[in-house]
Amino acid sequence: MSKLALTLTINGERHEILTEPHRTLLDVLRADLGLTGTKENCLEAECGVCTVLLDGAAVNACILLAAQCQGRAVLTIEGLARHGDLHPLQRAFIDHGAVQCGYCIPGMILSAQAYLQEHPSPTEDDVRAALAGNLCRCTGYQKIAEAVLAVARDRSARR
Amino acid sequence: MATSEPRVVGKSLPRMDGAGKVTGTAVYAADFALPGMLVGKVFRSAEPHARIMRLDTARARALPGVRAVMTAADVPDVRYGGALKDETVFARSKVRYVGQPVAAVAATTPEAADAALAAIEVVYESLPAVLDLDAALAPGAPLIHEEWASYTAIPILHRDGNVCNRARIVVGDVERGFEEADRIFEHRFRTGMVHQGYTEPRAAVAAWDSSGQVTVWSNTQLPFEVQNTLAEILQMAPSKIRVVVPGIGGGFGGKLRVGVEHFAAFLAKATGRPVKVMTTSVEELTAAYPRQGTVVELKTGVTKDGRITAKAGRIWFDTGAFAGSGPGVASVATLVLAGPYKIPNLHLEGFAVYTNKTNCGSFRAPSGPQANFAVESQMDVIADALDLDPLELRLKNIVREGDEGPTGQVLQAVGLEECLRKAAAAIGWRDRRPARWRGKGLACGWWTTTGGSSGVYVKINPDGTVALNTGAAEIGTAALTGAAQVLAEELGVDLADINVVSADTFSTPFDFGAQGSRTAFAVGNACRAAVDDLKRRVFALAAAQLGVEPEACRLADKHVLADGKRISLADLARLSQQTGGGLIAQGTFIAPPTAYDSKRVDGHVYPAFHSPSFHAHAVDLSIDPETGDVTIHKYVVAQDVGFAMNPTYIEGQIEGGVAQGLGQALSEEIVYENGRVLNANLTDYKMPTTLDMPRVETILVQHPSLVGPYGAKGVGEPPNIEPPAAVANAVAAATGLRLTSLPITAEHIALALRDAGA
Amino acid sequence: MSFEYHEPTSLAEAVALGARFGDDGRFLAGGTDLIIQMHRGKLRPRHVVSLHRVSGLDAIDANGAVHVGALVTHRALERFPAFRGPLRALVEGAEVVGGHQVRNVGTVGGNIVNASPAADVVPVLLTLDASVTCLGPGGERTLRLEDFLIGSGRTARRPDELLTGVRFAGLAPQSATAFLKAGRRRAMEISVVCVAGRLTLDASGERCLEARIALGAVAPRTLRAHEAERFLEHRALTAETLREAAELAVAACQPISDVRASARYRRLLVETLVPRVLARCVERVREQAS
Repeated sequence: MSKLALTLTINGERHEILTEPHRTLLDVLRADLGLTGTKENCLEAECGVCTVLLDGAAVNACILLAAQCQGRAVLTIEGLARHGDLHPLQRAFIDHGAVQCGYCIPGMILSAQAYLQEHPSPTEDDVRAALAGNLCRCTGYQKIAEAVLAVARDRSARR
Repeated sequence: MATSEPRVVGKSLPRMDGAGKVTGTAVYAADFALPGMLVGKVFRSAEPHARIMRLDTARARALPGVRAVMTAADVPDVRYGGALKDETVFARSKVRYVGQPVAAVAATTPEAADAALAAIEVVYESLPAVLDLDAALAPGAPLIHEEWASYTAIPILHRDGNVCNRARIVVGDVERGFEEADRIFEHRFRTGMVHQGYTEPRAAVAAWDSSGQVTVWSNTQLPFEVQNTLAEILQMAPSKIRVVVPGIGGGFGGKLRVGVEHFAAFLAKATGRPVKVMTTSVEELTAAYPRQGTVVELKTGVTKDGRITAKAGRIWFDTGAFAGSGPGVASVATLVLAGPYKIPNLHLEGFAVYTNKTNCGSFRAPSGPQANFAVESQMDVIADALDLDPLELRLKNIVREGDEGPTGQVLQAVGLEECLRKAAAAIGWRDRRPARWRGKGLACGWWTTTGGSSGVYVKINPDGTVALNTGAAEIGTAALTGAAQVLAEELGVDLADINVVSADTFSTPFDFGAQGSRTAFAVGNACRAAVDDLKRRVFALAAAQLGVEPEACRLADKHVLADGKRISLADLARLSQQTGGGLIAQGTFIAPPTAYDSKRVDGHVYPAFHSPSFHAHAVDLSIDPETGDVTIHKYVVAQDVGFAMNPTYIEGQIEGGVAQGLGQALSEEIVYENGRVLNANLTDYKMPTTLDMPRVETILVQHPSLVGPYGAKGVGEPPNIEPPAAVANAVAAATGLRLTSLPITAEHIALALRDAGA
Repeated sequence: MSFEYHEPTSLAEAVALGARFGDDGRFLAGGTDLIIQMHRGKLRPRHVVSLHRVSGLDAIDANGAVHVGALVTHRALERFPAFRGPLRALVEGAEVVGGHQVRNVGTVGGNIVNASPAADVVPVLLTLDASVTCLGPGGERTLRLEDFLIGSGRTARRPDELLTGVRFAGLAPQSATAFLKAGRRRAMEISVVCVAGRLTLDASGERCLEARIALGAVAPRTLRAHEAERFLEHRALTAETLREAAELAVAACQPISDVRASARYRRLLVETLVPRVLARCVERVREQAS
């Protein structure tokens, strides 16, 4: 089984990777690149803790072959904050008490980010539907929804 | 207690560890890695009950990349466990559940480890499997532990064959109590096995150093307990074992005891390299420490005006192949079965029973939802039969200030009536059946703040920041933020001035662990003790500097103030470092024991609820009478938290606890058939998603405890307790159906309605 | 889980690779079924042929007849503006497939070839009398979707063929579609039962000209309820006829009992959801008319 030479663009940086074809984007992010902000759990696209953005769309890194990401832009939680300033979603999750154990949070924030990019004025039901692929066992989702809605309202207000 | 308006405690301040979590820089045990680390995996039994006839690891050992393969032959022959030591690291002659560890491998890659597992040869001779409680308790049932009598156990347990504990509460004379009753109600209930559902798998990395000491990085909630268990298992002094918790992605009681740490330690020793072991979803749903399924029989006698005269009950816990937390849970259950009610005659028993399933453990309020489901469901049946409002029936019987609990403890700070009235008002209780197929349900209960001791070290730094060093692990509740708020309040500094170091058995003081809703309570009190200790040093130094008496000093605004003069804590710390070793202090705390009547209990590991909390839940829901689907319109929780140290995070505990409770009520169950789990994946183990959860309205009631910091009580577990009963009662109001088995799925409702001719 | 990975850049190249590897290979679209089955050890292909660089398979063409390329994602399907009207059931089926992470990469073609009897968009396509196109080394062939689906996980696709698209004729006037799904949770569900319906009514809107009912998760493959459909044709659409149609649909199912639901409950759901789906179609035709 021959290894593949891949060039992956993660958070704007190009990485040259040599890896077996079966390895997923999640494997490469966590084990090869030390980017453990993207989490590992069910490995079956059921829980969403491995959510990253692929060309701006939320996907489960656990079932994406690293090879399928060649030539595409991957954004992980590590790439969200700019120059050390927290992204408004990160700020809002803290401010609204939406973070408990925190393990689902990177995936949750990225799902929310992808959604808000395209839907600037969601209702709470819209937000919940957008995050339905991200399981949280700590919060019951309420403060998570409130945080996302607050960011959406803030952005609308500033327009 | 604070005499002036609190500055820091009681405020919804943001948690201290939030930035790391939202940026993905916080390291959880599942993220932890060391250079040269090997991958460890566990080979598990495929049979529910069988003798191991042959176990051959030679082929596995010979595979490329495989560095170690270990079985029972390679580890000391030790039985370990909590109250009852019946567990072994690997199965020896017999396997007792599908998923029981039989061997472990360490290899250079996950693929090589998988190949090694596939190459292990084992031959089993099947034994009759004990598949459920009935089978385990039947006369002549196969013994799951033939040598049960030879196991070490705490003497108080009552054990017999497949029963690994029987706990009992006896008060008064139930037979006479039933004679006094005008009506007697008897019911049987059943609840399913559910998993804590933490999103981070159990994980541990172990590495040995050249002096024969091992460090284990783990997501355990109880680092000191794991240290002790590893010492037993490895047959080493505990001081040579260091357990460190980098971060935990949810625990809920499922990460209390050793799960993978021992495999990591043994494999690391055998290979001379660090080894990481992490569970998969399949392993979590087949071989973890889920909440026991139960059967409950409850018999209650009441007068015709609704006064409870007697209650007899038995609850059987299907605790699986090893006792786990069973013996203790069976004890706690009897207190939940009594309920927060004044009942003069009680005969309540809890049984922990072995079966050939995964050994069950503790899950947030262990025994709470199961026993409360029975008690509170029956209360509504009684109310309806007596033509009484369920709220009124409860108000007639609930405990109030100064009343006795079931084991004779005197109850203080009893906020139950306020919780019931407020929850009922918030749900609009007057209109219990607002529409066809729509109904409201109530349930109430009580719970404990688990004892155990906590110690902290506190240090003031020359820049004015404060280090809080605690043995407690932060599992996500923000309990350590709460404790830090207490410290900041008492020291006169801000929360932002405090840095927490935690959960390292080598360098942090002992803590009984993040369990039983105790962390903010105990660590907060330990901080107060540390501040008392610190004040002595700080005031002595300040007094000398300022030329005042120590008695004139007080802390405020990051300074010591006295007679119109002031000096900063930062300056004092710097001075102290130069002249006296620094401003450091220690504090320890253990709650005073709760007095109870020991004659009332037998085989009982948990005879009183400490600084008890009280709670009431109310739900308004509709049923689709054809499909049975449940839609929750409103869910309300009124919880007596004593003192709300940080309202936002307490709300978070309540919202999350209700989510898990609703999961148990409506959709979750680990389903066994012939000793095998049918739904060992997250597709078919159905935890609530964003679209399944209603909004939860929380009402924080505060009847300050006598012991907790600022009157706080434990808050984390209670919200899990009442949802199943509240839902069952609302479904009954909406449909007339009394469903006595959890989960109450749409299927159950729809088919029951069909069968009832609706 | 080791395999050789191939990334053809054209349809011809993809077909050639499919021909070369046959049953030793699998085409990879979104991976939301294939990769999971490989992780679980259910499938161990020696060759994986990724289609993500093959162009021309991800278009939706809706001028008159509708053609949906095999690599159209569920996300693209749910957002396609022309599917908001009478073809709304396509959106209703697509938007309940997993969470948005799955819908962003999972494809219609992959979903059809995976042939889960519980698939959500497949029953909708069956009510539209859809047909699928397969391209192999010998050329292209078209089959009715109903004939393409053989059993649980089994289709008429030959090992060397690539499913390239699915097509259906545009709807006649006075037509509407609807889709309902039952599950234990409101999201991330594999259907316990799902029902798709399509009705074409006469000019008065009272009588059914043509009916299609498709049922998911009640048989080894997604099922058309032919007898129920025939019963409805030319009948007035009353609560009673909808109920009778539902009973015929129940008689056509062969549901199993499994960890998700009992056979009895599945039958009950068919009995309940068929009239609801049909009533919704009637309502929609009337709304569209006004």
